[in-house]
Amino acid sequence: MIAGNDKELKLLDKTSSEFAKKELAPFREENDKYPFGPFFETALKKAYEIEFFHATLPEALGGIGQGMAALSLILFNICREDASMGDAFIAFPVFNNPSEIENLAAAEKKADIYVLSGKVEYVVLSGIAAHALIPGKIAGQSGFSFFLVSLPDSGIEKSPPVLSLGLHACSAVDLKLENAKGVLVGKEGKGADYFEQMADRMHVAAGAMSAGIMKGSFSEAFEYTKGRQQGGREIINWSEVRMILADMAVAVANAEMMISRACQAVDTDEKGWQACSRAAAITIADTACQVTADGIQLLGGVGYMKDFGQEKRYRDAKHIQALLGIAPLKKIRFIESMIG
Amino acid sequence: MISRKEIKSLINMSPKFDDMVNSLQSAPKLPKAMVKETQKVIAIARKFNREVVRPSVLGLDLKMHENPNYLPWEFVEKANEWGFYTMWIPKMFGGQGYNQPSMAYFAEEIASECLAMANLIGVHYLGMASLSATFNTRMINKIAREVAAGEKNQTPCLISLAITEPGAGTDVEEVDLLDKGNITCHAEKVPGGYKVNGTKVFISNGHLSAWHIVIAYSDLKKPSENTVTFAVKTGAQGFSFGRKENKMGQKGCPASELIFKDCFIPDENVCLTPREMENFKRGNKASAMQMIHYVVSVTRAGVGAFGAGAARGAYEKALKFASETKVNGKLLINHEWAQCMLAEMYKNIALARLSYVETNYANGIYGFYKNLQSKPAYYYNKVVPSKWFDRFSSMMDKPFMTNLFRKRQMDGQTDEEINRTSGWGSLSKFAATDMGIKNCRMALDLMGQAGLRHDRGVEKIYRDAKLLQIYEGTNQLNRLNLFNCLIAKDHPQAVVFDE
Ligand SMILES: Cc1cc2nc3c(=O)[nH]c(=O)nc-3n(C[C@H](O)[C@H](O)[C@H](O)COP(=O)(O)OP(=O)(O)OC[C@H]3O[C@@H](n4cnc5c(N)ncnc54)[C@H](O)[C@@H]3O)c2cc1C
Repeated sequence: MIAGNDKELKLLDKTSSEFAKKELAPFREENDKYPFGPFFETALKKAYEIEFFHATLPEALGGIGQGMAALSLILFNICREDASMGDAFIAFPVFNNPSEIENLAAAEKKADIYVLSGKVEYVVLSGIAAHALIPGKIAGQSGFSFFLVSLPDSGIEKSPPVLSLGLHACSAVDLKLENAKGVLVGKEGKGADYFEQMADRMHVAAGAMSAGIMKGSFSEAFEYTKGRQQGGREIINWSEVRMILADMAVAVANAEMMISRACQAVDTDEKGWQACSRAAAITIADTACQVTADGIQLLGGVGYMKDFGQEKRYRDAKHIQALLGIAPLKKIRFIESMIG
Repeated sequence: MISRKEIKSLINMSPKFDDMVNSLQSAPKLPKAMVKETQKVIAIARKFNREVVRPSVLGLDLKMHENPNYLPWEFVEKANEWGFYTMWIPKMFGGQGYNQPSMAYFAEEIASECLAMANLIGVHYLGMASLSATFNTRMINKIAREVAAGEKNQTPCLISLAITEPGAGTDVEEVDLLDKGNITCHAEKVPGGYKVNGTKVFISNGHLSAWHIVIAYSDLKKPSENTVTFAVKTGAQGFSFGRKENKMGQKGCPASELIFKDCFIPDENVCLTPREMENFKRGNKASAMQMIHYVVSVTRAGVGAFGAGAARGAYEKALKFASETKVNGKLLINHEWAQCMLAEMYKNIALARLSYVETNYANGIYGFYKNLQSKPAYYYNKVVPSKWFDRFSSMMDKPFMTNLFRKRQMDGQTDEEINRTSGWGSLSKFAATDMGIKNCRMALDLMGQAGLRHDRGVEKIYRDAKLLQIYEGTNQLNRLNLFNCLIAKDHPQAVVFDE
């Protein structure tokens, strides 16, 4: 659905779904375990080789210059099988909007660098990444700024990986900074502008992840209900089961349509594309929570067990809803942007 | 203005007054002392939460993440030490004899801190209730007194209930489905007892229980007319435990596989046979369904209480977060939209609670709780010391006691009473558990990134609460049971499970 009739996108659709089925699905349970195992390196290497990471980078930077539709398609297919990998793909897996929160790290300018002190909670991938982009507040300024810190820095203490609701394989750590060196990214005090610009685009990517999870949940439920018998017939032949499946299928179809439309708006720089991206993501993230709950329900007791993918999708969907800030505040922000 | 005859006819119109309000009819008949006693039970639960549950809840969940095979004996031992496994067993069977509906309030309290721990206590009473519904007073007396002895000598003696089979979950909850189902647990009649073969799955507390109340069938072609209820003790020959499930939530409470391989169950451990059921007023099949209704009317209200607890746990976490976290420079609790969300969550808890309370009012006048809740029986139980009951304990072993109870409780219950109690049980089960999930979602929405973290506790409730919509019959099965019990009865053309 997202690929439409675009030849390049169709090809990408095929490669990314094959990749997800082959490289992710078989290891989903293993990668989800706690204590966390090694980050799925083989899959990441493969993904790198087939240039998933470069999809949206401009050709001048060594990328393949695809737009949001390509990124969304990759995320959608990957998240059908394992959303943790999808999270690793997003350039900016943040769950807080720094403008909304109270305690940011304090930054102080010393000669041509900045030193940062304070706590930054739940920094995704920081357990393994070389660098982290963190928000900090320069004393005396009202807004916040972004700083690049080097994670082996002696001024940064990392907590053990934080256990969270979903996306286990893409774990986060808490950082404690004490006079850690930071390089200013962009301009001082402009963090909020950068964040919102990024968020405008990344909402649709997050929506694509939720849609992928929904589709995965529906597919597994659909197959299961065709095989499981109760009351002397396959349960898909009970009309209440059909009704639940129908609700799921309709939600998936709508989500795919919304993502396609939002990607088109983003990629063609259509007037109001930002609203399109955000509205799609807000709706899909919410629907995904109901769809994945139904996805467990239709499997009955086994849906609640690790042996199937449904329980993970239920957790991941709710986890993803918190991407880019507190869910109700994302709605408030949406209307505020219209109020001006 | 209106004649008596008119009043009678009008209140019997649909919705019938008797189906609408249970509390108004039940409350005036209740012994007054139940109020104080219930307050005491809630206070004990809160103390237990403060001293035992809260300090260990996240630690246990983490441990279970690391090792799904771990068995939380230390918690079961604590609950045993606090007397929770005998608290609601009547004194005549060696228990402490607290009024039984107070257990639901207790369940809400514990569930608001940890659903797994609430289940570690609650499921024992699911086993006890199913055993009680056979009215085999000798077996009830034997097993309940072992539970009491286990409390004295600090060796927990828990009871589980095993009905679900790999091929039959929804089917074993409803006799109309049973005969069409893929039933495999066979209890073959042999001299002196039954030989049992088959597997039960998802049995809560299986690995932790000393006794298991098992439902099997002596004829797999017509299970609905051949239900055998028996008790098997852990360690019995031919009986073993299989795997423990690796669940998403309620991790602290194991779900076990029970395996029977030519397991001989002597007649003395058989609680109810198909032949005995033939003697019930309603005959074999309808009595099997009546027994299911009888038990689930109370146990589903119990799951309703778990749902209320989940809704409350999520709300309490969200409220704490909102009252100490500033967002956009202002405490979250002072954002109007957040206040409305918290009000909505509060409402969900209140409605979930009302649903189980109202159901138990019905159980008090029409069902499971009726006997011990009449004023004479209640005060007799309360005032007379346990020792006195113990002296007459052997009376319970006499077959006439069993017959007396079966006549009174099973044959004495009208179809209307069965429908009302079971319909309300289902209503509470799916309403309150849906509220539980709703509040978890809202709490996570409100808390954003903080809510995702294990150490905040709310994501655990979201994982734990999903199970409530599945066990004790899925919420779909419960909607259909409500339809059957409270709606279809007035519409003769309506048929259920036959589309
Ligand atoms: C952790 C856990 C603990 C449990 N503890 C116990 C226990 O202690 N003792 C015990 O005996 N059992 C226990 N159970 C079993 C539980 O009661 C069953 O899982 C439940 O009844 C559902 O059965 P199932 O899993 O076989 O699902 P199924 O019956 O296979 O249902 C699958 C789906 O089909 C739907 N469906 C099935 N039939 C119909 C129909 N006729 N009309 C419409 N929809 C239908 C269901 O609603 C569900 O959505 C436990 C289960 C779990 C997961």
